Formats: sequence, C-alpha cells, structure tokens
Amino acid sequence: MDRRKFLEKSGVALAGTSGVLSLPLLTSCTASSQSADSPLSGRRWGMVIDLSRCSEDCTACMDACRSENNVAFHGDERWDIHWIRRVNISPKDSEHRDEKSVLLMCNHCDNPPCAQVCPVQATYKREDGIVVVDHHRCIGCRYCMIACPYNARFFNYLENPEWPNKDFPRRSHGVAESCTFCAHRLDEGLQPACVEACRNAGHGALIFGDLNDPNSEVSRMVAEEPVKRIREDWGTEPKVFYLGL
Amino acid sequence: MDVKFAPIEGRSTGYLVATGLLALFALAGVYATWLMHVHGLQLSGMTNRVPWGLQISMAIFYIGLSAGSLVVSGLYGIFGQMQYKPFARIAAYLAMLFLIAGLLSILTDQGRIDRVFVKPFTYFNLESMFSINPGLYSGHIMICVLYLWALFKEKGTLTKIVSLVVCLWAIGTHTGTGAIFAFVPRELYNSSLLPPSFVAAALSSGAALMILVNVVLFKGTGRSLDDEIIVWLGRRLLAVFLLVTLYMLLIENVHRVYLVESREAGMFFLFGGFHSILFWFGLIGFGSIVPAILLYVRRTGTSIGWITFSASLVVVGVLCERFLIVIPGLIHPPDLFPGMEVTGTVLNEGVMHYSISFLEVLQTLGVLGIIGFAFMVGLKVMPLAPVEAKAKLEEPKKTSKILALIGGQASEPLST
Repeated sequence: MDRRKFLEKSGVALAGTSGVLSLPLLTSCTASSQSADSPLSGRRWGMVIDLSRCSEDCTACMDACRSENNVAFHGDERWDIHWIRRVNISPKDSEHRDEKSVLLMCNHCDNPPCAQVCPVQATYKREDGIVVVDHHRCIGCRYCMIACPYNARFFNYLENPEWPNKDFPRRSHGVAESCTFCAHRLDEGLQPACVEACRNAGHGALIFGDLNDPNSEVSRMVAEEPVKRIREDWGTEPKVFYLGL
Repeated sequence: MDVKFAPIEGRSTGYLVATGLLALFALAGVYATWLMHVHGLQLSGMTNRVPWGLQISMAIFYIGLSAGSLVVSGLYGIFGQMQYKPFARIAAYLAMLFLIAGLLSILTDQGRIDRVFVKPFTYFNLESMFSINPGLYSGHIMICVLYLWALFKEKGTLTKIVSLVVCLWAIGTHTGTGAIFAFVPRELYNSSLLPPSFVAAALSSGAALMILVNVVLFKGTGRSLDDEIIVWLGRRLLAVFLLVTLYMLLIENVHRVYLVESREAGMFFLFGGFHSILFWFGLIGFGSIVPAILLYVRRTGTSIGWITFSASLVVVGVLCERFLIVIPGLIHPPDLFPGMEVTGTVLNEGVMHYSISFLEVLQTLGVLGIIGFAFMVGLKVMPLAPVEAKAKLEEPKKTSKILALIGGQASEPLST
C-alpha cells in the first residue's frame, strides 16, 4: 500500500471511529427514575433553620455530619469538605454591627443547577427532592461545583484517611459530593444527623420534615412563619428555609 | 494559482531536535497526569473554591485556536480565495490537532479519567453543555479529516461544500464551548455575549496562529513565501477580528459595571487583583491595542517582522483572555447575602486565590508536546506544506467580494 492510499484509508477509519463514538450521544438513555410505587414518592423533604435558636459557638451539627457521613477533613482549607458550615453576616453599610450567624449547606434546590450541568447524570434529584451524587458514576469534572451558585459542593482532592462510620461509604479521590440530607438515615425512618445532634444539644434550631405533609412542623413553619431562602431570586427553589435571616 | 504541496524532508538537525524535545514534553505530561490520577488533584493548584484551573483555560484556548484556524482555512474553500490556498491544508491539520489538544486538556483534568470513556456516552445529559460539546467536538474532528481529504484530492466542489460546513461547525463548536461558562449562574460567567466574544477571540487567535506557523515554517524550511500573503492575513483578517473582539469586551464590561447588581463583580474583574493586570496589560494593552495599531499603521502593517510580532502578541493576549474567562469568575465569591459582609468560620468565604502548580505546567507542556510531535510527523509524511507560496491572484473579482465582506479595500487587487 503506498503512502497516499494508506493516508486515505486511515482518514476514513478515523472518521468512521469518530462517527461510531458519537452514535451513543444520539441514542443514549435518559435519567434513571424511581418506579411509581417507590417509597420515595409523595415526599418532599425540607429543612427550616431557626437562627434565633442556633448558637454561634455550637458545632454539634457540623461534627455529627462529619462523623456520620465520613466527610473528609485534612486540616487544609483548600481540600477540606464541609457539608454544613457556618458563616457570619453583617450589613456592609451599617455602623452597628448587627451580626448574624448562618449555617450554609446544600439547598436541595427544586431546580438544581448542579444536576442540570452534570454530563453523566451522576448528580440527580431523587423523587423525594433530595439532590444526591452517584459516586460510582461521577467522572470528577467539577462542573457541578462551577454551576452551584451557593458554593455548597465539594471535591475529593485526595483520599480521606478517616472512616469513623463503617456503615456509610467513604468517597474515593476524584469525585464531587455535598449534603444528602442524610438520605440513608431517612430511608431508615431516622432524622438527618445534624438535626438529631442539634436537638440533643438542646437547641432544636434545625427542623426537618416533609414539605408535602401539611401537618409536619416544617410545613407549618414555612406556611406561617416569616421564613426566607437564600437568593430566592435565582429561581433555584431551595428547600432549606431560614427563620430570622 | 497553482500551488504545489510536498512533505518536508525532516532530516535536518533542527527537525530532529524539535521533534525529540516535543516527545520528551509529551512523556513529562503523561507522567504528571499519571501522578495526579494516582494521588489525586491535590497535586494541582486547584481548590474547592477554585475547581477549574490551567487545564480548562488551556482547553478553551486550544479549542479557540482550532475553530479559528479552521475558519481561516475554510475561507479558501468557500470564496475560492487563492491567497489562502497555500496554508489551507496546514490550517485544517492544525485545527484537528488543536481540537485534540483541547480534549486532552479536559481529559487530564478529570478526577476519574478511567470513567471518561464510558459514562458520558451511557448517561448522556441533553441539558449539560459538557454533554453537548463532545458531540460538537467529535463532529469537528470528523469534518477536519474530511476537509483535509478534500484538500488533498483537490476536489473543487466538494471542498467548497465541506468548507462551508467547516466554518459553520467551527463557529458552533466554539459557541458551545463559550456556553459551558455562559450558561451557569455565576456573576462573571453568566453572559449571553460570552459565546460570540469567545468566537471573535478564537478567530483572532486562529489568524495569528496561521501567521506564526507559516512564517516559521517557510523560514525554517527555506521555502519561498510571498510577503503579501502574510500582510493579507495580518491586515485583512487579524486586525478586523481584533477590533471585533475589543468591541465585545468593551460592551460586556460596561454592561457589568453599569448594572447595580453586577457592579461589584464587574469592578472586581477590572480592578480586583492580579487578573486585572492580565486584563489591562495582557489582553487589552499588549494583546489587542498594540497589535491593532501595529497592523493598521501602514509601515509596520506591511512588515513581516512587525506582523509576526503582532501575531505573537495576539496569541498571548487570547491566552490571557481564556484565563480571564475561567479564573476570576471562580475566585470572586457569589453574592449570597446582598448588602451583607460575609465572613467564614471554617472556610474563607471571600476572594480566593489560585496558583498554578508545577505538575499542571507539565501537563500543559505534555499536551503541547503530543500535538507538536504529531504536527512535525504530519509535515514529514503528508503533503501539507506548499513548496512555495505566492499571492498571485487569478480571480480579482472574487477577491473584491471577500475584501468588502471583511472591511478591506474592495476593488484593489493585491500586488503581484
């Protein structure tokens, strides 16, 4: 085979291979979905954070979250992961420092930008409204972190050396993660670890429940109390509400 | 104009040393990527607040170069512009290589490289720009191959049709790449002007790259190159693309600063730190205004030396532009509580910092090494480079159309 023919044939082969590779793009499946009789259907989990009952010095929720979910802490701000974290906010233009302490976490948005941009549907919203990451599918592109306007998503830059809760998996390096509302506990009929820890610490600042159940405490508060969500104008429809913000 | 193409000999010491060096770079890049794959992306300079860095910046730079050089090449096919014929093949080959470079940069940046070859195809997400773009990219590579084949075969009508598809597809590819950033809710990303300004900068860098490659190639292989071709590329294409890019940058930034809600972010972009120095000096000053002046002033705009210098400045300027698209939007914190000062207790919630790690540099050199090596080998085995290039025009009427289109002097044929 002379060089010209070889080049022609290899060109055709390359074009053909690219075509075959792009075929699945046209024919691939869509998001995995729960069946109609799934135990997840009908529920819509949400949380209210009552800032008046939340103590600035308390770390009970953050500690409980870390040990329950094996959330990595390396002692280096660049790579530490925080499914729930605290910030202090005060008015920019005021002489009186009216400071508030606010817990930030994944808002489990009804319109989650993180799930919208995930190229492999590793991040998706469950039927009960919880936004989760399939760590066996995540390719570690970090597009979800770029898209999350709340900076609530984190990436495993390195292996997590700690594994306090052997009943819950650790994540390998190279995948993204964020708060799951302790979906594994909810599936067992328990409350999220942070909510339980806050109640045990005597604060009861975190109120969790089914927003679809009109009799739940969380539904009552959302309906009757002056709750706010962070940047509602973004249209993400967060399911974490704040009282006293 | 009958242009003869031939492979280069590729036996000179310069050729062998350059090819060997590029192969070494490639190996270094593979090693750096392997280290990151084993030990995690902690070895990069990226953090949880700045999750994209050098590789993504370089990826969009390469993809821009690819789209830009393909459009420049396609002009020959569509309009029968004979002055583009001598480098149409090189442009098409480079376009393919730079697209591959972009894909390699994205690939080496993934946390789980082992999953990249399967999951994106089996769990395709039609809503994600990261899913849509691979379709555009693989189509882009296929079209490059088809276009190269049509050019090799000298098939007139086919070349014309494919050239049109090539240009449209290249613009689509780059619009899609711009949309990766423009379609997410971050203050310095979210902008409908970003995809078109992305394309404009891509065309600038593509034209500049063509100038550099041709000058280096012709001088390096002792082939005869008519200055008029380079003057054409510089004054008629590069200079126009530069002005369009500058115009879009102006509108985008004025828009940001004008609106109260994005003013703080806009001011941060323009005057907020090291990236602002890159913006004013790297992109605006030396990357756009200086080369534009050099190209428009007749004395410097007709000198090969100055045009080559301007093209180098433009390539560096567009590199700055790509970096400025990715990084400032990440180091600037989101405005979660408008009107409030936010201080973190466990994390820095303010302006972040990103510094490039040594291994990231190695990865970048590696990608350049791989495509550089492929380019050198391509020159040796394929008839990509013209034996000589002269700007004699046989069809001045057709020329006047394209000249009018891109703002040149409509009725003035090029000197022969």
